[in-house]
Amino acid sequence: MKRAKSIVATILAGLALSAVAPTQLTAQDKNTLVWGDTLPAGLDPHAIFDVPMQFILLNAYDTLYRYIGNPPDLQPWLARSHAVSEDGLTWLFKLNDGVKFHDGSPVTAADVVYSFRRLLAMKRGPAGAFLPVLKPDNITAPDPQTVRFVLDKPYAPFLAAIPLVAIVNQKQVEANIKDGDFGAAWLSGNDAGSGAYRIDPATYRPREALDLLRFKEHFKGWADSARPIDVVKARPVAETSTRVLALMRGEIDATDSYLPTDQVERVEKNPRTRVARDESMRVFIIRMNNKKPPFDNVNARKCFATAFNYEGFNQVILKGFVDRNPGPNPRNLWGNPPDLAGYKYDLAAAKSWCDKARAEGAKLDREVEIHIQSELEQTSQAAQMFQADLQKVGIKMKIVSSTWAQITSATGKPETSPDLWIHWVSTYFVDPENWIGQMYDSQFEGTWKASSYYSNAEVDQLLRKARSISDRGEREKLYQQATTKVVADSPDIWVYNTIQLRGLSKRVQGYKFSPVGGGGDLRYMSLSE
Amino acid sequence: MFLFLIRRLLLVIPALIGLTVLTFVLVRVVPSDPAATLAGENSSRKQIEEIRTKYGFDQPLHTQFFIYVGQVLTGDLGNSVFSNRPVSADVRRTLPATIELTFTALLFATMIGIPLGTMAAVRHNGLLDHAVRVVTVGGLAVASFWFAIMLQLFFSMELEWLPLRGRIGVNVGAPATVTGFFLIDSVIAGRWDQFVSALRHIALPALTLSLPALATIARFARAGVLDTLQRDFVHYETAIGYPRRRIIWVYVLRNSVIAAVTQIGLLFGALISSAVAVEAIFDWPGIGSYAVQAILAADYKAVLAVTLVIGVIYAAVNILVDLVHGLLDPRVAEQL
Repeated sequence: MKRAKSIVATILAGLALSAVAPTQLTAQDKNTLVWGDTLPAGLDPHAIFDVPMQFILLNAYDTLYRYIGNPPDLQPWLARSHAVSEDGLTWLFKLNDGVKFHDGSPVTAADVVYSFRRLLAMKRGPAGAFLPVLKPDNITAPDPQTVRFVLDKPYAPFLAAIPLVAIVNQKQVEANIKDGDFGAAWLSGNDAGSGAYRIDPATYRPREALDLLRFKEHFKGWADSARPIDVVKARPVAETSTRVLALMRGEIDATDSYLPTDQVERVEKNPRTRVARDESMRVFIIRMNNKKPPFDNVNARKCFATAFNYEGFNQVILKGFVDRNPGPNPRNLWGNPPDLAGYKYDLAAAKSWCDKARAEGAKLDREVEIHIQSELEQTSQAAQMFQADLQKVGIKMKIVSSTWAQITSATGKPETSPDLWIHWVSTYFVDPENWIGQMYDSQFEGTWKASSYYSNAEVDQLLRKARSISDRGEREKLYQQATTKVVADSPDIWVYNTIQLRGLSKRVQGYKFSPVGGGGDLRYMSLSE
Repeated sequence: MFLFLIRRLLLVIPALIGLTVLTFVLVRVVPSDPAATLAGENSSRKQIEEIRTKYGFDQPLHTQFFIYVGQVLTGDLGNSVFSNRPVSADVRRTLPATIELTFTALLFATMIGIPLGTMAAVRHNGLLDHAVRVVTVGGLAVASFWFAIMLQLFFSMELEWLPLRGRIGVNVGAPATVTGFFLIDSVIAGRWDQFVSALRHIALPALTLSLPALATIARFARAGVLDTLQRDFVHYETAIGYPRRRIIWVYVLRNSVIAAVTQIGLLFGALISSAVAVEAIFDWPGIGSYAVQAILAADYKAVLAVTLVIGVIYAAVNILVDLVHGLLDPRVAEQL
């Protein structure tokens, strides 16, 4: 009994002692950055394709070309140049000399071929951008420094999509294949890249912790940073309130780049922290199922589009930390008509559109459902505001809480797709194809991006032509025409283009934002004394 | 006793089968398509269909179920359809964190709750009793996420005593895994810095999690002691001049805590489930956080594994409670 008492006393004393011991405010030294943004579910860049994966892709891996800065500029990276045949089918990429993987072996054209073939075979992640136009056998290496792609049909966004594909070390991945899994189980927790930072697999705890160590021999050198950071400890913080407190307390140096607008002032008031604001290419959209009544009626859709209070949502609820986006493409991307005005909030106009729709037999009396992503508060705020305004024009709308996985599963068929749902379209690659191309060409029906099931033969034709020619000026005109037609048909409600807000410690210098990767490129950063 | 144990273990089997069937059906009939999630955000319909075939999602549900049960019976919980990692590895990594948190919370709740309840009963309707009543009602009524944020604001932001989040200091690093419990592993490794860091990190989440448990235990202990104090043997012992302190803390307490012990067992299971919110706020990398991510990603194998593992723990704790019952009360042991 006495012994038990003394053990308990020791533990209590330890707890008390440790509690009053002074807390180290900044958990990091001047060479260690603690990154509080989300980590992807695994580390295989060919298996997972989402916003958190960009952090791994940009830092642990290299790609043939890379987007840099804002507006994003596509620059040669592992490749030093490329050439395309006149018919737009054959693409040749010349690689830089002397590039090394983290294990010291050279990056060769064979590794590039292997990486693309692995991606196509796994059919996951960013494979969707290439599967319709590229067969594995048509990716070859005529010599150790040249890669040749022969497309099945001309596909102008091909180069724009090239930065999606991480080049992996063939030798390392092949040595770890089990049961024909393409080495996916191994690569989900290991590193086979050549990027500016190498993954320390021993520190990896999925979605919880990962240390990245500077790869001093990186082929681009380190002149881009005033004082390159040697160690980056990725420590994702799940809860918004904890994330903000952890930044203010100095436990982390950076939050994610979707800081809630009501937290901006708080972070900026703290002497230790600041908020980086950068206009991104991420459009907030309320989708309408154009195949389901009443949304099969254009006047009914216009009624909904004029009943949404854009100004109120953007300026009041989101405190002006977003920019109104009148069409499907981000307003800062090429391909938008210069005079595109979009829809305005006008309940009198909404009533009149609704009356017209009713006169044409549109079933506006049934209760419509809007599906929101319950974990994303903005989707709920937008739906609640919209619900109140629709009620004023005599439309009943029910808000249904859901998840991304559930909604995107439902959008596979027009019958199961919700009446309305809310989401963002982020930058997967910087080309109108990523937005208007994949959202409103009817050949993409069945994917979540084309979930409004909009179909217009003229628009299809314009988008398909724009996809098949390489002249940028010509493409721009086609996208402008298509955008004008799509906006006139009002298939969806386009609300705003995101300004990404990332809370940063003031000691972080050289933060460089790009819509691709959201500012997660570590090679430019340094830490002040 | 032995026969009782066998009987209870056999009864667990149908319960677990029922649990597996129910979870499998629930996870697979909700409108969430694992093939779509697996294919990724920019995938085409064709790509999704090919993934569906490749992973067998196109097979009838019962076929998929029997394949899954076959795997589980051989100890294979399958690979996460999302990350490609074995689910068992994820469970091995996250479960100890939750058990460590829950156990610490329960230990705290018991160590405070039983004496508190006993003292309240001894000073029945006194000032202390009223104060305990306020604490216990409050403990059950306060939302854990609110309490957690208040603790963070006070102990981390205002006093700067304790860390806000995580399981161990960023610069200290996790101890070498032996048991998976950082408090134990750091002692095994002889790393005092790791032990202190782990203790500091567990303090706030454990305190948050312990509050409703503490309230429940204190209430049961109070009720038990009040009841026992009316028994004849207490009057007899008082009459023959036993010291009051000995009567209360030895004889009365032993006869009173049986109900509280049952509650402690049940609370262990309940706390594992309510740890989800606490884990999210404190970034505690436990099985609750893992389950939430699995549900959002439609990672059905991970969801099934978590349900199954928690089911097994729940059943095991219940059996353990019955056994402890027997040890505390020989009359119960005779019936077992």
